[in-house]
Amino acid sequence: MARREDCGDGARARQHVFLLPEYLKDASKKMKSGLMFVKLVNPCSGEGALYLFNMCLQQLFEIKVFKEKHHSWFINQSVQSGGLLHFVTPMDPLFLLLHYLIKADKEGKFQPLDQVVVDDMFPNCILLLKLPELEKLLQHVTEGKEIGKKKYYKYSKEKTLKWLEKKVNQTVAALKTNNINVGARVQSTAFFSGHQISSDKEEDYIRYAHGLISDYITKELSDDLCKYLKLPEDPASLPKPPSKKVKLSDEPVEAKEDYTKFNTKDMKTEKKNSKMTAAQKALAKVDKTGMKSIDSFFGAKNKKKVGKT
Amino acid sequence: MESGDEEDVEKHRIHLRPVTLRSAPSVTLHLLPCEVGVNRPAPVGRFFTPAIRQGPDGLEVSFRGRRLRGEEVEVPPGLLGYVMAMEEKSLGKQDFPGGSDSDEQELVEPPEALERDFDRFMGASASFQRFTLWGLETVPGPDAKVRAALTWPSLAQAIHAQVPQD
Repeated sequence: MARREDCGDGARARQHVFLLPEYLKDASKKMKSGLMFVKLVNPCSGEGALYLFNMCLQQLFEIKVFKEKHHSWFINQSVQSGGLLHFVTPMDPLFLLLHYLIKADKEGKFQPLDQVVVDDMFPNCILLLKLPELEKLLQHVTEGKEIGKKKYYKYSKEKTLKWLEKKVNQTVAALKTNNINVGARVQSTAFFSGHQISSDKEEDYIRYAHGLISDYITKELSDDLCKYLKLPEDPASLPKPPSKKVKLSDEPVEAKEDYTKFNTKDMKTEKKNSKMTAAQKALAKVDKTGMKSIDSFFGAKNKKKVGKT
Repeated sequence: MESGDEEDVEKHRIHLRPVTLRSAPSVTLHLLPCEVGVNRPAPVGRFFTPAIRQGPDGLEVSFRGRRLRGEEVEVPPGLLGYVMAMEEKSLGKQDFPGGSDSDEQELVEPPEALERDFDRFMGASASFQRFTLWGLETVPGPDAKVRAALTWPSLAQAIHAQVPQD
């Protein structure tokens, strides 16, 4: 076998640590091919991100990378720098279709889907058209027309906001079942145990869920959704440029020739909680900012709060 | 396609060999609280693993003169861990060794050719259902960042579940 074990300088090829849904293994029993990583647009940032398609199950998966500074793996008898952990989870393709529908809406007319989902930058987007039940999905975000046998669609902001509200609601329910502390950005349950944890308010849950959903939609739509959900303006988030915040989890994938970097900027955690003093933790707890992006879910950005008065 | 990798990246596909998902042997993984700047074979089984002790509240080991404290972390239910690596380009579009016997079986192949000449291939080399998480001096505990991250799949499920029709 002509498989090379090193990369010239004695270094072994990069190994990636993944968590996949278990059913992908079962599905693989019947597959010879049809599992593939492709780069598609990130519907929030417009940059590229890596996704996984299972063409046999006709399912789309997103890939999020957990990275904590100063970590590495021992993998059997080898060492792998970075300590990255890739999460592969099913993704609602409608978030991606929505990106193209909103773009196409500039033309202001009804269009067939294959004219909407086109992308010079990410030509693999046409794989989205192979996913099942697109018609049903599109009802959530478009007005449809049928002329002859062909279907034509037009983006509807009104329907989209309704759909996103449902998304927020089901996310709120999951936050509650998972006991995720949405009021505080620092999960220091041990430190604050007992008295400090106030019962999280419904508004906090909605705001948190809004932040999570905002990682899949444009900034403009995120703002509209915020108003639609009647979330009060958050004073803490005002002085900061809000777009920056969303960007944190959506920096472009710096995929170079080996294409193996994935979106390592995602879910990066900058500092360890344990480094914070009790005072900093208390400060961090008070600082409630508006949006909880997926980044904040994976670890508080303590760096932003330290030094804040 | 040897040249123009930079632009190909947007267009090409990395095919994950399904056969490797079912044949991957299990692997021992340690997530260490320190940077190691290289990716290469290391005598883990000679120097690290034998030094692990069961302390009063968890695992202990000494690494590079520092005391590490560790605990086992289970992969959340419904998920499987895999270690994957990119294949060399030269392997290209061909049947993966080990997949040949399954050619006899009726394997589902997508109706059209999804693999193109300039695509690349990836395979799982090993699988895991737990790993050892190490902290510097202290046991990582329930507040470890990676533990928070492990709840992501259940949250993602809610975010991406289809909403009921009106």
